[in-house]
Amino acid sequence: MNLGKFFAVRGFSVAVAILGCLALDYAAQTYLQDYIVRLVFLAGIYITLAVSLNLINGITGQFSIGHAAFYMVGAYTGGTLTKFFYDASPLGAVAWLIAMILAGAALAGVAGLLVGLPSLRLRGDYLAIVTLGFGEIIRIIVINQPELGGSSGLGFAPKVQGLWLVWLLAVICVAVCRNLLKTSHGLAFLAVREDEVAAQAMGINLTKTKVTAFVIGAAFAGAAGALLAMNEGYINPDLFKMDVSFLILTMVVLGGAGSITGSVLAALTLFAIPELPRLLKIDVSLAYLIGLTAGAIGFVSLLRHHQQRYHGPKAKGRMITVATVVGVPLAGLGLGWLLHTFTYLSDQTYELNNLRYVILAVTLIVVMLLRPEGVMGHHEFSWKWVQKVLTGRKPVAEESIS
Amino acid sequence: MSEHLDLSQVNVDELPVVPNPLLKLEGATIQFGGLIAVNQVSFEIMPGDLFGLIGPNGAGKTTCFNLITGVYKPTGGSIKFEGNEIAGFNPSKIARAGICRTFQNIRLFGALSALENVMVGGYLRHKTSLLSGLALWPSAIRETEELKEQAMQLLEVVNLTDVAHARARDLPYGKQRRLEIARAMATNPRLILLDEPAAGMNPQEKEELKEVVLRIRDEFGKTVLLIEHDMKFVMGLCEKIVVLDHGEEIAAGPPSEIRSNPKVIEAYLGEPV
Ligand SMILES: Nc1ncnc2c1ncn2[C@@H]1O[C@H](COP(=O)(O)OP(=O)(O)OP(=O)(O)O)[C@@H](O)[C@H]1O
Ligand SMILES: [Mg+2]
Repeated sequence: MNLGKFFAVRGFSVAVAILGCLALDYAAQTYLQDYIVRLVFLAGIYITLAVSLNLINGITGQFSIGHAAFYMVGAYTGGTLTKFFYDASPLGAVAWLIAMILAGAALAGVAGLLVGLPSLRLRGDYLAIVTLGFGEIIRIIVINQPELGGSSGLGFAPKVQGLWLVWLLAVICVAVCRNLLKTSHGLAFLAVREDEVAAQAMGINLTKTKVTAFVIGAAFAGAAGALLAMNEGYINPDLFKMDVSFLILTMVVLGGAGSITGSVLAALTLFAIPELPRLLKIDVSLAYLIGLTAGAIGFVSLLRHHQQRYHGPKAKGRMITVATVVGVPLAGLGLGWLLHTFTYLSDQTYELNNLRYVILAVTLIVVMLLRPEGVMGHHEFSWKWVQKVLTGRKPVAEESIS
Repeated sequence: MSEHLDLSQVNVDELPVVPNPLLKLEGATIQFGGLIAVNQVSFEIMPGDLFGLIGPNGAGKTTCFNLITGVYKPTGGSIKFEGNEIAGFNPSKIARAGICRTFQNIRLFGALSALENVMVGGYLRHKTSLLSGLALWPSAIRETEELKEQAMQLLEVVNLTDVAHARARDLPYGKQRRLEIARAMATNPRLILLDEPAAGMNPQEKEELKEVVLRIRDEFGKTVLLIEHDMKFVMGLCEKIVVLDHGEEIAAGPPSEIRSNPKVIEAYLGEPV
């Protein structure tokens, strides 16, 4: 390959990434309400968390479910250092923020090393318990440490909002994972996921591969944690409870373990589902609720029935799928509209906001019933893939380089 | 003694050339609880050998492979590869030393393509750092391309070029077995161990496999040690054979001797082949 051309292309794409993030930052600060800016900020954080867990979980196959622990280590590193050392440091706010991101990543990377080592001996469920336990231990240590603010949390100044840095981090995290899968190095990680015994017989160093995945994954989560801390100026242990770990894990599983684009899409979707209703401030009547619930149940049962029983021509099968996907929810809406004529059902209204976790749960159930391998399965989103899906040819081994 | 030996008097060319064995087992033993799965097994494999390991079910053949490749650590005896003790090394170190294997119960990387499976085999010789991969540096891309080319060539050897991009898990049984051989070959081993490579193949596939094994030895210069139950296949292919029964070595020699060895006939063959 022509080196000059390579550096030109690489320089250009790095510049585009940085400028793009700066532009996003500027546009958000100028045109959006503070509340929405915060959502954009958190969306970037969650993308980083999901994609970094996907490296450990989906790509390397190590069932780690305590990702919030690394996120927490990064956040507390940033918070504590800022509280005690910011005033004495000559760094400006942004330089300090960048220093904190690096410090958070480094310390979380060390934590990743500690948690990664048992993965050499433990498989599956046992490793999951260890990673989850590690998260709880870290949390309990912090709660019992007055210097770290204990359970009432840690406040520090200054707050530095690095929206562009959050999105830059997300971009770097995605790029690193994608690059990994584009070279032969990624194959070593995938081989460990597929069959440890065979991977070792091929000369792959199991220890190195697994621990590397943990360290890189944890470092990205730690960097995200530091950014969160600096954005808030206040953190407490409750921000890093088990349910955060589960949310990140759900993003990876829902997106399709191993698929980077799947993790990104799932992170955005799962993050948006509880937040959008809050923004939209819509009231739904009981009538529509019944209609939509019936629609959802019909949707799942019809599609599942179709998936399992249909053996006819491919084209016809695809038409039935599309008809179900579009038709049944519409039918549900129609049913809601009909029911709406009954005053009893239309008077009873609910704020959509209060239903947001119900919607989240329903989404998860629907996906797991219809596509247990996750929305993207092992595949990556690409136009070639979309074409193949639409034309009905089965994509073969899309997952990495060939 | 050596003080009296005048080296200048020795004509090196006239000394008989005794090549060193590539692999040497001496009293290799492994015990699982009360069961001695491999008991005091000793044999030598010379460079360029086509060596067979046979015996009834449960004789300890696969366990022998597991000892050689480091899956198990022997409880006794020694295993030397090119003169160096390798007993108890971990499997990846042994692969890097130059021994690679296939598995009796196929162990491919199911979700990866056939090509990628073979590329994994070549990965142990990679030179670029992980960092250059994460940064998608030109050196890492080039190395990946090279690996892909080598893998393509090996797929051609085992006649799987047409399914290079199919998922390994989706391939039919016979092709999976050949893919395992290509993957092991990709590590560029000096000794390749094949655990029942012909199992589940039809006669025509077996003939093709024979060709492949011969090519591996003659064209690529590999030393081959194989386990096989199909006696016609083993006798027609291997030049030396060791027979195991209940973990013990009951015979060793060329096929012609093995065929007529009463102990082997009683323990395994049933009737002369
Ligand atoms: N990890 C283990 N723990 C306990 N026993 C074992 C273990 N591995 C193998 N064995 C036992 O060792 C004996 C030899 O098994 P091995 O798999 O080597 O036989 P084999 O000669 O390969 O037979 P086959 O032709 O059926 O493949 C068997 O009795 C088996 O049950
Ligand atoms: Mg066996």
